[in-house]
Amino acid sequence: MPSIPIIMPQLGESIAEANIINFLVQPGETVEADQDLIEVETNKANMNVTSPCRGRIEKFTAQLNESYAVGAVLGHIEVTKEEAVRLGFDVPAPAKTGDTDRISAPDVNGGRNRVQPTVRGLPVPANAAGASYLSPRLKARMNELGLHAADLAGVAGSGAAGRVTVEDFERFIAHLEKQKITPASSMRVTVADAMRRSWTRPLAHVGLPVCIDPLFAYRKVTRPKPGPALCCLRALAVALAENSAPAGRLVGNKIVHPSSIDIAFAVEAEDGVLVPVIRRADKQSLKDLIGPYNELVELARQRKLPPEVTGGSIATVTNFGTFGLTWATPIPLPEQSLVLGIGAARRVPSWDAGKDRFVPVMEANLTLSFDHRVIDGGAAGRLLMRIADLITHPEQL
Amino acid sequence: MSITYLEAIREAQAHALRDDPRVFIYGQDVGAFGGAFKATKNLAKEYPGRVIDSPISEDAMVGLAVGAAIEGMRPIIEMQFADFSTVGFNQIVNQAATLFWRTQVPCPITVRLPFGGTSGSGPFHSQSLETIYAHYPGLVVLTPATVEDAYSMLLEAVAIDDPVIFCEHKFLYYHLKAEKLPSEALPVGKARIAREGRDMTIVAYSAMVHEALAAAAELVPEGWEIEVVDLRSVKPLDTDTVMASVARTGRLLCVGEAWPWGGVTAEVIARVTSEGFGLLDVPPQRLNAKDTPVPYHPNLWTAHRPTAHAVAGAARKLLRL
Amino acid sequence: MLQTVLDADPVGDATSFRDTHLTAYRFMLLARMLDDKCAGLYRAGKIHGGVFIGRGQEALSVAIGLSLKKGDVFAPLIRDTAGRLAFGEPVLDAMRTYLGSVLGPMRGRDGNVHRGRPKEGYLPMVSHLGAMISVVNGVLFARRMKGVTGTVGAACIGDGGTATGSFHEALNQAAIEKLPLVLIVANNHYAYSTPNDREFACRDLMDKAAGYGVEAHAVDGTDLSACLKVVGDAVARARAGRGPQMVVATLLRLCGHGEHDDASYIDPKLKTSPAGRDCLKVAEEHLLRQKWADAAALAALRGEIVREIEEAVAQVQREPTPDPFTEDWRAISTGHLNEGHE
Repeated sequence: MPSIPIIMPQLGESIAEANIINFLVQPGETVEADQDLIEVETNKANMNVTSPCRGRIEKFTAQLNESYAVGAVLGHIEVTKEEAVRLGFDVPAPAKTGDTDRISAPDVNGGRNRVQPTVRGLPVPANAAGASYLSPRLKARMNELGLHAADLAGVAGSGAAGRVTVEDFERFIAHLEKQKITPASSMRVTVADAMRRSWTRPLAHVGLPVCIDPLFAYRKVTRPKPGPALCCLRALAVALAENSAPAGRLVGNKIVHPSSIDIAFAVEAEDGVLVPVIRRADKQSLKDLIGPYNELVELARQRKLPPEVTGGSIATVTNFGTFGLTWATPIPLPEQSLVLGIGAARRVPSWDAGKDRFVPVMEANLTLSFDHRVIDGGAAGRLLMRIADLITHPEQL
Repeated sequence: MSITYLEAIREAQAHALRDDPRVFIYGQDVGAFGGAFKATKNLAKEYPGRVIDSPISEDAMVGLAVGAAIEGMRPIIEMQFADFSTVGFNQIVNQAATLFWRTQVPCPITVRLPFGGTSGSGPFHSQSLETIYAHYPGLVVLTPATVEDAYSMLLEAVAIDDPVIFCEHKFLYYHLKAEKLPSEALPVGKARIAREGRDMTIVAYSAMVHEALAAAAELVPEGWEIEVVDLRSVKPLDTDTVMASVARTGRLLCVGEAWPWGGVTAEVIARVTSEGFGLLDVPPQRLNAKDTPVPYHPNLWTAHRPTAHAVAGAARKLLRL
Repeated sequence: MLQTVLDADPVGDATSFRDTHLTAYRFMLLARMLDDKCAGLYRAGKIHGGVFIGRGQEALSVAIGLSLKKGDVFAPLIRDTAGRLAFGEPVLDAMRTYLGSVLGPMRGRDGNVHRGRPKEGYLPMVSHLGAMISVVNGVLFARRMKGVTGTVGAACIGDGGTATGSFHEALNQAAIEKLPLVLIVANNHYAYSTPNDREFACRDLMDKAAGYGVEAHAVDGTDLSACLKVVGDAVARARAGRGPQMVVATLLRLCGHGEHDDASYIDPKLKTSPAGRDCLKVAEEHLLRQKWADAAALAALRGEIVREIEEAVAQVQREPTPDPFTEDWRAISTGHLNEGHE
């Protein structure tokens, strides 16, 4: 009985290969046409390789957990001569007994190859190949609709190497229009754009729990009371005044140091976040900053910030603890390298070596998100330690 | 009743001779013999003195036509093969094509070129020269693909006051038939959508339109609907129709029987890329004959020029990008 | 002009012979002085491109210009200033084309000797030698088809031009069709720098005629009387239906191929031979000998011509040259078929 190959089929447009994850039948078993033989995993889903016709599994040559290209031979199945011919395989004449010439198995490459390998196709610029390649037409269309490549994240691409064709795109847009749509405010769009641009950098985060009992105690005896965000802001300003490199910008092979320690702080307003700026925060004490800070918060909430208090800051502070969060990884503004965060305070047990037991303390997490091109973990850690040190000694602020 | 592409050309000439006393036909063997391809069969008898045999002198044939045109006639010059027109090239491009520009006197001559390959014709009876004539300013270059266009565009060519290079495809002469002659037609300068589609635009002209249509049919079972644009005239080239088609489909393949360097396919792509870059979802492609003289042996000839199968293959590559 | 200087004798062959000579001489002198003026302007940097003059060819050229009638068709070549003027070209046409005035017949789109008025039977040459002959054939062919009779077409060519394929095809075609073509071949012994023995191997250009089946006539190109007679005869024969006529004139070019060329390759023996005579001088001497004009008349004529030329130059130099921004950049007459693509 002739044997025909079991071939990795075209499992979907733009699928080039699949991983063998399970053999569903064993050599020697008889199978029916279209019966599932091998389970494979592609980058999109798990699928099955089915039998081309009724026959007996001769052997599998594919290995478990190995990847094979579309069109590759995975094994052989014994079938009747009629089936072989029907499927387009040339059946060789029966060998004469004693003939020293070996009759080789049907040449699967010579026979009609019913599976087409994924077409690599005509050249597309090397650095724009695959999923990130946007054709001129697609770019024009996206321009028309005010969209960015980031908006296409998750859109299935049916083009070569997974690129999103203009047909995929139109289908995506048409599909969107069938779903519930609410307008995004211009604030939302602006923030989205800022975060997209910020994210083009390698960002990293470090964190440190800090005991804020000293800060609470300090607040009790201070009028008016400085908020935790302002304390952090002032601490960051003092630390940066001592060493401004962490707030620098990397431009090419140069680090551009800030010229003035202007620090912004996040204020939630409606659909987004506003970031008013305290200029030269290193030159004024914490007490002197309270008034101006509160004013800015009020103006921000009313969305009445004058232009001279927005923009041109070198770092931002955010108190995500106001949302009840103990931990967060905020994203620095696109033009900055740092954002300092403080989380919600909680009462936690802290080991007191002197008393040789756990004592309850109020603790909050300080986080520093930074552009890893400008500073590494060590410098980030030292900065955070210095800030924590200042926070626990608020009279120094 | 059916009429071939060649008969349509003969009919057009007969009607031109009948309707305009300024028309005459001059070429080798066009008189009593009726022309190498019988494009003027019986016309010398029907119109005595107006269908005249010339000596084998393509230069003097065209020169004479220019002089006659200055004198107010509307000569039709039949070149026996496009390939021989190069002997009269100087008179076409430097005399006829410059007369209006230099003197403001129009030059209403029509030069008929039997062009394109047929099996076994070889390097000197198969050439497609529409490109080199289109390159020179001052000429109109027509490439009808259908029996109807062969008729109506030749009539229009004679009526146009400027030198027209009328490229008639030899392969289509006897192979293409139509029910009847048209009573109206698209004007010269407008391309025709030969087949509507949504997935790709194939721009072609003359015999290649039929290859493109066959390729489109080959792709239907694979789920593709291909739009085929028949340029009809190579100069002027109907950029608007091509652009509108690419706006619909986003993919462009140009097919020509001429050689690859420069050429109609290059011209179409240059225009679409520079004026319609944002219409293209994939790089535009072209398919031409191989960059060698046209071979004689059918084995070589069938591989030298684009065929329906080759067009379908090129289309598939683009469709998968 | 001349008539005021000389006695007007209205009757008799002798008179018309004299008048013809005087008219011819006037055109020759005008041509010579016009050519010299252009050469001068060229050396002064006032002319773009080339200047080609007909110094030494005036007699032959004026002969064909005068022998043709209004209604004939004429395709002169580069040394035919005299013939063009005799055929009726205004001096302004020549000056305007050389100086690139937009008011000239070519409107700056072509220049120097590439000028004409096709609808008036005066064909503007293309640079490819021999190419104009079949165009003349076409005009004659069309006229015959239209039933127009009695007209003649003349084309001028040089010794080198007879080597081209266009010359061959056109003369052959004219002979087959028995067209009334007069071919004026000026054998000035050099095609640019190339002597006769590198342009043809037959003994004499006259010998070619038999090969085409056409009549040929030799003439001394330096002798105005001879040129008038031989060319006149050839034109009459063509007009009478005897088929194409070839006139082969022997003369010498008395200038460079163009004004950029010093012609140092010309064999000095030719310069001193009879073929090297200056036809203008010969004609002048003839006029004086025949007492058809005297020195004073000739001087007056010269003065008149100088004024005519100077006025034309002065006028043309004040005229506008083509403006690329208002120029109609269309190469075909059918408006909607122009692509206007760049």
